[in-house]
Amino acid sequence: MTAAIEVRDATRVFRQSTGVFSGDRLIRAVDGVSFSVESGGCLGIVGESGCGKSTLARLILGLLPTTSGEVLVEGQRLADMDRKARARLIQPVFQDPFSSLNPRRRIRDIVAMPLQAQGITGRAQADRVEEMLVRVGLPGAIGDRVPAQLSGGQRQRVAIARALVLRPRIVVCDEPTSALDVSVQAQILNLLDELRRDLGLTYVFISHNLAVVEHISDRVAVMYLGRMVEQAGTDALFAAPKHPYTQALLASVLTPEPGLGVPDVGLGDLYPDPANVPPGCRFHPRCKLAQARCALEAPVPREVAGHRVECLLV
Amino acid sequence: MAFQLRRLALALGFVIVIGIALVALLAPWITPQDPFLQNLDARMAPPSFMDGGTAAHFLGTDQLGRDYFSRLIYGARISMLIGVLVVVCSGLIGTTLGVVGGFFGGRIDAVVMFIITCRLSIPLILVALTVVAFVGSSLTVVVLTLGLLLWERFAVVARTTTMQVRNLDYIAAAWAAGCSRPYILLREVLPNIVHHLIVVATLEMALAILLEAALSFLGLGVPPPLPSWGLMIAEAKDYMYFSPWVILVPGIALFVLVLGINLLGDGLRDRLGATRDA
Repeated sequence: MTAAIEVRDATRVFRQSTGVFSGDRLIRAVDGVSFSVESGGCLGIVGESGCGKSTLARLILGLLPTTSGEVLVEGQRLADMDRKARARLIQPVFQDPFSSLNPRRRIRDIVAMPLQAQGITGRAQADRVEEMLVRVGLPGAIGDRVPAQLSGGQRQRVAIARALVLRPRIVVCDEPTSALDVSVQAQILNLLDELRRDLGLTYVFISHNLAVVEHISDRVAVMYLGRMVEQAGTDALFAAPKHPYTQALLASVLTPEPGLGVPDVGLGDLYPDPANVPPGCRFHPRCKLAQARCALEAPVPREVAGHRVECLLV
Repeated sequence: MAFQLRRLALALGFVIVIGIALVALLAPWITPQDPFLQNLDARMAPPSFMDGGTAAHFLGTDQLGRDYFSRLIYGARISMLIGVLVVVCSGLIGTTLGVVGGFFGGRIDAVVMFIITCRLSIPLILVALTVVAFVGSSLTVVVLTLGLLLWERFAVVARTTTMQVRNLDYIAAAWAAGCSRPYILLREVLPNIVHHLIVVATLEMALAILLEAALSFLGLGVPPPLPSWGLMIAEAKDYMYFSPWVILVPGIALFVLVLGINLLGDGLRDRLGATRDA
């Protein structure tokens, strides 16, 4: 069976101009990432800000070309697909529903846009828009409004309706709940989960919120400085993280008990710079287990007890 | 208080611009006399509300005895016509250049920037002088000269606002939805920058009207006997020490129109920017 998404050694390098007299800086936002998501599955991708999560989302969506490596969707190379075929297969849900909806169009037109692009118009278009709005739990009358008249949760429902109106196979969710109120987050998360089961969708779910990822994903990948340092089934990863970074990440989750304060995760204050990746293992300057060879030798991914880990010490 | 003042300013600008536009449109029906009819017996008659004025000429007559009020009304036609045509022409050129440069970026943007820089280094009055020297002055020449030169502010504003909009998520969503480039430009980008362009349009319209007046004053604008306000000021300057109203009347009209357009533009920017965005 072909995987719904297969990413092979995807790399994306950005060139950042630093001034007239100095050369450009190369930022390796995504650096040799490989993974696959089976049909109907949900891969959660976690990592701190700036680790390349969103760039990876844009590579999978075909919004950015890869510098090297390739992305296969349902066995076809994404780069070879035309925009309409790609749109029928894979759709995004973005983080901020305040910037992902065009403020000057009515909700009906926003949801209809993917159909319009496919040449589906008139009655058929109106019916599918109506059906989709009801499906994501919005009253049909909302179609005549503009985004400014909607709440954050309603807007995110509109964004989900737009993503699903073409009945795609795959949805890439780039932090779909992190811009919402806590009370609304759960509703949106449950809606996404329900839609996945009912419509047989495959999700790539990007978040920095571990609880959210644990709730919705069946497999989790941890990104650090443009690489995937650990991949495993959700239960295995949360029960027994192998990579020191994953361990630190899980330890950083705040406990609900008051008075305990912020946990010390031993990552230090060093912030990783994707333009200046450390030699050897890129995590070694912040790793509390680091040894001398970590600074010299770059680790390769290995299978350890069902985890795919990129660490010399595991 | 400040809010009410702004509304008042917008309303005032709206009334002035619509009023002058109506007067310009209806000129043939509301002028009391033929603006081209000369009457050398009744030269330099003062306005009816001044000493020696007659009821026949509300704002008096000019040096050739033409009814000044009728000429003022026909002058509104010239000013509005030039303002609108120049803005349409320069708006099309500038917006196209700016949106294309801002949206595509890279080399295309570098070319657009170069064209804008070239335009900025061309002195407008000098070009107008040269053109008039070669092809003579007419209304068409003035409109074309200004229309082909006054687009740089449109281009700069359209370019920067497009660059801001281009990176927003709804544009990414439109790409992911499989929309074509022209669709994204026309339906997703343009509606979200148009309120900035409207403000530029009002500024440019006021500028075009003032430039036409300046060109006519220099004798490079619309040729006599067309009653342009700039031309009226030019013709009046020889008589201003003896009958100051001949220069005051078109001067005040020009001032009021430009003020009205600017008030309207400012007000529209506040309203359009605030109502639909969150």
